[in-house]
Formats: sequence, C-alpha cells, structure tokens
Amino acid sequence: MEELLKIEKLSVGIHSPMGKVQAVRDVSFALHPGELLAIVGESGCGKSMLCKTIMKLLPKSAKIEGGRIIANGVDITDYSDKDMRKLRGKLFSMIFQDPMTALNPTVPIGKQIAEAILIHEPKLPKEEVYHRVIGLMELVGIPQPHQRYKLYPYNFSGGMRQRSIMAIALAAKPKILIADEPTTALDVTIQAQILDLLKEIRTKLGTATILVSHDLGVVARCADRVAIMYAGKIVEIGTAEEVYYDPRHPYTWGLMQSLPALNRGAKELKTIPGMPPTLIDPTVGDAFACRNEYALEIDYHEQPPMFKITDTHYAATWLLDPRAPKVVPPIGGRGHV
Amino acid sequence: MRRNPFVYYGKKALIFLLSVFLLSVTVFYISRLAPGDPLMSYYGERVEKMSVEEKETARGKLGLNEPIYIQYIRWVENAIKGDFGISFKYKQDVMQVIGSRIGSTLILGGTGFVLTFVGALLLGILCAWYEDRWVDRLLCKGGTLLSCIPEFWLSLVLILVFAVTLHLLPGSGAYDVGYKNNVLNRIEHLILPLVIVVLQHLWYYAYMIRNKLLEEIGADYVLLGKSKGLSKRKIMFRHCLRNVLPSYISLMAISVPHVVGGTYIVETVFSYPGIGALSYESARYHDYNLLMVLCMMTGILVIFCNMIGQIINEKLDPRIKATEVVETSEVTEL
Repeated sequence: MEELLKIEKLSVGIHSPMGKVQAVRDVSFALHPGELLAIVGESGCGKSMLCKTIMKLLPKSAKIEGGRIIANGVDITDYSDKDMRKLRGKLFSMIFQDPMTALNPTVPIGKQIAEAILIHEPKLPKEEVYHRVIGLMELVGIPQPHQRYKLYPYNFSGGMRQRSIMAIALAAKPKILIADEPTTALDVTIQAQILDLLKEIRTKLGTATILVSHDLGVVARCADRVAIMYAGKIVEIGTAEEVYYDPRHPYTWGLMQSLPALNRGAKELKTIPGMPPTLIDPTVGDAFACRNEYALEIDYHEQPPMFKITDTHYAATWLLDPRAPKVVPPIGGRGHV
Repeated sequence: MRRNPFVYYGKKALIFLLSVFLLSVTVFYISRLAPGDPLMSYYGERVEKMSVEEKETARGKLGLNEPIYIQYIRWVENAIKGDFGISFKYKQDVMQVIGSRIGSTLILGGTGFVLTFVGALLLGILCAWYEDRWVDRLLCKGGTLLSCIPEFWLSLVLILVFAVTLHLLPGSGAYDVGYKNNVLNRIEHLILPLVIVVLQHLWYYAYMIRNKLLEEIGADYVLLGKSKGLSKRKIMFRHCLRNVLPSYISLMAISVPHVVGGTYIVETVFSYPGIGALSYESARYHDYNLLMVLCMMTGILVIFCNMIGQIINEKLDPRIKATEVVETSEVTEL
C-alpha cells in the first residue's frame, strides 16, 4: 500500500533559556490512506510537537534538526511557509485540544467554515459556499445548520465547538486529519460522540487520521494502529490488536496496568513510578530506564533500537534482544481485555 | 434576558446629568475659594488705585458679594437660558470669546487626534508584524524613550531647532499678521504644535495595539487559521485586527479629551490662540465666567467620550454581550 505520509528519523529541538529541549527524537512512522493511527503518551512526551511539526506550525523557537517528512511522495521538510499554505487544509488539517479557544470568538461559525473553503477555492460562488458549509455542518452533526450558521462560538457548547472545528478542518477535503487530543477538554459523554464522529468521517470520506491522546482507553475505541510515545520517541508501534493484546515495551505494560478498567476490584490504581524526564540535554541510554522495573544494565548506557516483532509490530526495548533474560509480561494476552 | 433600550440609555443620560451637575458645583466652588482677586482681571492695574468703597461697588455690580451658593443658583438660572455671562478680562460675552478661539483648537486637536489614531494603528501593526525583528525593537525602544520626554521641553527644543536656528517654520501663533485666511500660512504654523501633540500620545497607543495584536496572534484560533491554510496577512487583518479594533476604538473615544486636552500645554508654549491658552489665562486671572464654561466644556467632553467608548465597546464586541449572558444565567441559577 502506498504511504500517504512518511516520517523518517524526525528530530525537533526547542531552544529555551534553560537549554535545548529535545521534544521529538528520531521518530519514524508511516500513515496509509484511510487508516486511523493513534499516538499515545504522557503529557509532555512530544505528541503535540510531532503533530505541529508535520504541519510545520512550530513556534519560532523550535526547529527541525534532522529527518524527513514525506507527504504524498514529496519531501516537504524544507518547504517554506508559502508552500506549506497550499498543503494546509488541502492535504492535511488539524483539530485542537481546546475547542473553547480554537475558534475566533468574534466571527460567526458559518463564516469561519466558509473561509476555510474559500482559501482553496477562492472563486466559488457564494451560494455554493453556503451549501457546502451547511453540508459540512450536517456531516459533523450540528443540528439546524441554517439557524446556527450565523451564531458565534460563545453560543456553542464545547462539543458543538469541537464539531465546528472539525467542519473547518474538513472543509477543503484533506487526505489527512490530525486530531491533537480532540476530546481531552470535553466531558466523557461528549468524548465518545466525538470519537464516533472521527470514525464515521473516516469511513465516509476515507480521511486518514492521526489521533493523539494520552488515554489508551480512548484510543481503543477507534484506532487501527497504535504508536506509544515516550520522551520524544516512539517506543512501540503496531496494530491496535498487537499493542493491546501483545504489548512488548515495559512502558506500554505500565500504561495498560494503570487503566482503571483493568484495576477493577483492586484497592489501589497501579501507576508508573516517577516522572517523565525533562528533555533538556540529550539522555544517555533509554530515557525510560530509571522508571522501569525491568531495566537492564545496558538500558543505562545505550538506547535500544527498534526490534521487529512482526511485519507491523515494533518495540524499542532491550528485552527483545535475544541475549536478554526472558521476562513474563505482567499484562497482555487475550485473558486481560 | 434582553435589556430595554429606554432603561439603558435613560440610565446613561441620568449618570451624565448627575456628573455634569457635580462637576459644575465643584468647579464653581473651587474657583471662588482659590486665593486672588477677580477684580484684577476686570479692571487690570487700576484695581490698585481703587478705594475700598469703589471696590465694594464693583464687586456688587459683578455679583461677587453674595454667598457662593446664591451665585451658583443665579449662574445656573442664566446658563439654562443660554446666558453664561461676560468674560471679566475681555469684557465680552463668554461664548463670543470662546467662539473666536475654538476653531484653532479644533483644527490642532482634531488633526492631532486623527494622526495619532491612524499613526498608532499603523505603527502597532508594523511592530506586531515584525515582532522581535530590528524594526520592532528600534520602534519599541525609541518610542518609550520619546514618550518619556516632557512635552514642554520637546516643544522648546523644536522651536529652537526649526524656528530659531534653521528658520524653517514659525515658532508661535496660528498665523502671521495679515495672513489670517491664508491656508498655507496656517498649515506652516500648525506643523510644530501638531508634531508635539501627536508624538505625545502616539507611542502609548501604538504599543497597546502591538501588544494586543501579539496577544491575539498567540491565541489558538490563529493556529487553527494557519492549519486551514490562511496566510499571515489574512490572519492578521481579518482575524487579529478585527478582534483588537473594537477595544481600540472605544479606547480612542475615551482618549479624545486627552489628545484634545493635550493641546493646552502645547498652545501655551507655542502662543497658539486656542482654548488651551485661554483656559490657562482664565484660571490665572480669576475670569470666573470664562473658566466655568471652559471647565464645563472639557468636563462634558470627557464624560461624553467615556460613555461613547463604553457604548461602542458593548455594541461591537460580541464577547462582552456573552459575559452578560453568563452573568444573568448565573444569577438565575442562584
């Protein structure tokens, strides 16, 4: 299958007064047409940074320091802002975490959606634009679109705003939709609706989706493939089946064990000890080693490479080295889920 | 819940009238309590040669012997009829004196206001566009420095350089003798005072626009705009500026008296025959009737512009209405 988006050994550094932050380190993955790839990790692990890098929406202090972004077969790593503008919205677009602030508060919703259409088709007649906006609002499940066209963001609830943002993101029929924690700021019932909507859109329009989340439970609902990210690196990637039923990285084990659903009946919720490292100054060895109860001596000296488990399943842990001692995973297998 | 416009504007009108009343009482009392002899402005040097009886008769004639509140009531009665009395110094109807001067001030203040308004907007956009580049840094530092210089000192420096040393521009007056209706001559006289009036306020508002724009640029909706493919120019002008403008316009409405009133010192330094110089004189010479009307004019301008600013703010920015909705819903919940 032809890849829609290919990230190769991508590294991003942010310059801060305290030193350089290695927000994204050596990340590689591919996105196929129509699939839903979830990227899961703790806050601050570089998920959002990765998304913004793909769309080149980085803040001024951040720079791509290595690697390539290949979109639709074209290397866009060195594209200027002007070149990127033609791709944004059309090839890929983005949904943000906080729907309360992502819309311009003084422009009516309909107009904001219409604007997204007109950017890429400036000569479209007014009525056609209006019809398309109404169509988009219906697609994302905003009832009574004709009445709501002229309303302002403050008239909308959080869920409705997130739907409007999705309408904006989908306005120019992008091939890739990047959803950066789209449900984090919403309450649980709305979360489920928005996730179902993401799935529905993918089936209806065939839009490939990158769903960023810190919640494995959220992702389980809809992902085809899952990538686990830790300290700016992808530590495990595989199909949802593989990652959920046969996780290989100790960090993935930790994440799964801390799911409330798997702790039913237990007195205390399992947690991963310690804090994620700050990414100032590159780490020696595996960044997860000091929190890892299965850490080996080599973890403190050398970063593990990606070990191949199946054609689709990879994990970066020395435990997969043939010389490593055999460890029985504390979780996984069909019995658990 | 929707507000009744009659109640809304009625309330505003009531506040306006009350403010004007309090202002007039205060100015009336303070001016009469201030030390000094109002007869000086009427009779000039001759006062010193007048006998005590003559002075008494003069005071009686000018109505200065009665208690202040009686004087005030009489003043209000006459003022309502449109009679504001005569200027002691000019021996003319107060309105006539003001009428002969107000044009010059309106030209100076009005042009100054428009230039400040437009200039600050452009400078602010320029700085925000080139944030942290050399244009922005230079303007920020230079602007702050410039706004720290006292206006009277800067006026004197400009007079010294352009009028005295270089002989390029006139340093005083509104026109040369015999050139009263010559537009070019008037413009020449306007340049230096205008520069001072504009420079005095320009950076304050430009810096505000810059910072407000940068605040908007940092907002999430800008990121969404970029991710849908909008250009920097469209984001800046269609979104950010649009959100900044209402508060800028209302602020500028409030600042009308500041900019126009800022002409007072400038007029005095440049001997520019306007309201500013007149106010200064009237306070100095206890020209009560003149002072009263000038103070009331300025005060009413301040109150009126504040109200306009507030109304503009409420009408133009839907977010303000949004907070109202939140507030009322909270109230009903309680």
